[in-house]
Amino acid sequence: MGPDMVGRPSAVKTLPGVPELGGLYARAVLPGWPRLPGRSSGASPDHASLPDVTYRVADVVADPEQLLRYQRLLGEPADDALPAGFVHVLAFPVAMALMIHPDFPLPLAGMVHLANAVTMSRVIRADERLEVHAWARRLALHPRGTQVELVTEVSARYGAGDAMEVVWRGVSTYLAKGVERSGVTADPVDADPVDADPVAVGAPVADAPAVFTPPMPTARWTLDAGTGRRYAAVSGDRNPIHLSALTAKAFGFPRAIAHGMYTAARALAESGAGRGGAFEWTVVFAKPVLLPGTVAVSITGDDAGGFVYSGWNARSGKEHFSGTVTPT
Amino acid sequence: MPRRPQTPTTIPTTPAGTPAHDAGREAVIVGGNRIPFARAGGAYANASNQDMLTAALDGLVARFGLQGERIGEVVAGSVLKHSRDFNLARECVLGSSLSPQTPAYDLQQACATGLEAVIGVSNKIRLGQIESAIAGGADTISDAPIAVSEGLRRALLKASHAKSLSARIKAFASVRPADLAPATPRTDEPRTGLSMGEHQAITTATWSIGREEQDALAAASHQNLAAAYDAGFFDDLVTPYKGLVRDANLRPDSSVEKLAKLSPVFGTSLAVPATMTAGNSTPLSDGASVVLVASRAWARDHDLPVLARVVDGESAAVDYVHGHDGLLMAPAHAVPRLLARNALTLDDFDFFEIHEAFASTVLTTLAAWEDADYCRTELGLDGPFGSIDRSRLNVTGSSLAAGHPFAATGARIVATAAKLVANRAAETGKVSRALVSICAAGGLGVAAIIESAASVPGADAATTGGAL
Repeated sequence: MGPDMVGRPSAVKTLPGVPELGGLYARAVLPGWPRLPGRSSGASPDHASLPDVTYRVADVVADPEQLLRYQRLLGEPADDALPAGFVHVLAFPVAMALMIHPDFPLPLAGMVHLANAVTMSRVIRADERLEVHAWARRLALHPRGTQVELVTEVSARYGAGDAMEVVWRGVSTYLAKGVERSGVTADPVDADPVDADPVAVGAPVADAPAVFTPPMPTARWTLDAGTGRRYAAVSGDRNPIHLSALTAKAFGFPRAIAHGMYTAARALAESGAGRGGAFEWTVVFAKPVLLPGTVAVSITGDDAGGFVYSGWNARSGKEHFSGTVTPT
Repeated sequence: MPRRPQTPTTIPTTPAGTPAHDAGREAVIVGGNRIPFARAGGAYANASNQDMLTAALDGLVARFGLQGERIGEVVAGSVLKHSRDFNLARECVLGSSLSPQTPAYDLQQACATGLEAVIGVSNKIRLGQIESAIAGGADTISDAPIAVSEGLRRALLKASHAKSLSARIKAFASVRPADLAPATPRTDEPRTGLSMGEHQAITTATWSIGREEQDALAAASHQNLAAAYDAGFFDDLVTPYKGLVRDANLRPDSSVEKLAKLSPVFGTSLAVPATMTAGNSTPLSDGASVVLVASRAWARDHDLPVLARVVDGESAAVDYVHGHDGLLMAPAHAVPRLLARNALTLDDFDFFEIHEAFASTVLTTLAAWEDADYCRTELGLDGPFGSIDRSRLNVTGSSLAAGHPFAATGARIVATAAKLVANRAAETGKVSRALVSICAAGGLGVAAIIESAASVPGADAATTGGAL
């Protein structure tokens, strides 16, 4: 990722609540469904060919039961703080809603989650009323199509008044494979041409160029066939490619695949509490994890108190994901 | 049941207002007893932890005439423990011929359970809180507890708390077919999902420990254990049980050549060739063991022998979760600290009892102590900790041959070490020392110094650095 200080579109559209991902998927594949409202003129240079609007949802509060189920599933402490991955679950549907905006130039169906970078500025308590802003930026050519970044910002009150501060910021990079849009230039900070984490329906995965040398493992994840269903239940992301072999086959996968954010969030959880409450957490996705499956994992500390992690197929040596957790 | 009269006269009296602790007090090892260790699903397939621990306890009672005796404390545990065994040690006391007035508690520190129990009771004896104790442990793979799945467990709990029939029925609505599969106990590390063998395979690869040296250590363990049995060494340490008179895993004719034929079972997906086989790894086993520890006065008053004294103990832990150190490397940390505190070096020991979780666990520990870089950066030493004379290592065999019922290993080793130093001291007339080191799940490790006990109380107090 490059510097992510690109400003958000000044036009703000407040949604009544965080959309359901299921409904968004349905609208993505069923063109007859109504789309969310948006503006289709006067795009600023930063958002050329992208919806020039920031979606906003106020008063977002975590559901304690959903939080507990998330914490149990991912191995996070069952405390009253929101794990960084849970904030993604909470807020990202607002960004996803932009991907079915009439001005969004790429089809949600077939999109691949290439990478994710989260900045957690402080501990967020479970009962805080959060405000979510989301916008799209940086439409860019990618060797395999067109990529775009979805920025999700979560703010919370601080002090005694109503002043808000950004407490969590996520940048999710997506690739529309094989899609080229005129007027889009290559991003100078290009991601590796990997096959990543398919986000939406109908994204069969080709072979990725292997430049990955597996480190010594520190852990092994034995993921059963229900892994995708369980993360779907706590995240609301019920994309059929994660739910069963049958539904995954319908979209070109040999078996169900694990949610990429499940793997990244589990690596974050297993990096432990030593990183503190403020940190940056990144992941780059390579080959998807087929379910059931076993993932060889390495999570090691660095000298600066951070962690680097990666996951791979122990038999083939092919990389599934890699990332970092860096205290700030 | 015949009961001995209580013997309060053996409790030392101290002036009012001064602590009972007396720096001269020692914790001495009177002796030990265990049942032969069985292979999982073998001779003890129908024996529970309580059955085996009670058998080990009763063997000790018979050996030292403790029928009806009120022991200061019985401390024991097991690693794979059923929730109904919450008071395992106390239940075993009640099922034994010890006085029912003998208190007990359970302790669990994975494979270090037995050794930690010995250290704990020794400390109480040295503090003057108790005069006698029995420490040990039992473990069974054959009779391991099986739990219901998380989904079914939550449904059952919800139903049991429900106030109406409809609420009870509703509680079960969440149960899925997959929830009906039982949850068998896992020996995987909870935080990494890797089995202990896989963890050790990583450590083995990191330290470049070869297949041949592992097989040689395994063969020596079998040969040494067989020779010790043949020499009658275990005649007063082991009581036959359920048809077993020797450890079922023992292969007296084991050899490097035979072991070399086995295929690797751990580390097969690592980049380097796998070296760990079923032959140079401990088998899953069933068994129980106990050791009798006392104050010198108590032993004398009961006309019991004194083999050795527990000098000091040290526990350590390593950060294995993020691969900073190997899972089973904690003893490499515990021993240098223990020896430094007691002003001893590796050269001061006649015997090294290093638990053979895997042959390579022993070898990586020894390699670490010889590695200047590791000793400096990880152990905080100035240079290599040192080497040991291999002829002093596990001289009567260890876990590779005997088997390793997790919590039972500590008391097996302590009783063996006590007898070894007692015999050596009797031969030479000099103080003899054994170093005991046990690695455990969770990146834990415990080490202890066992020293021959001179016949005159206090006569050997000056022979070591005066720990505690």
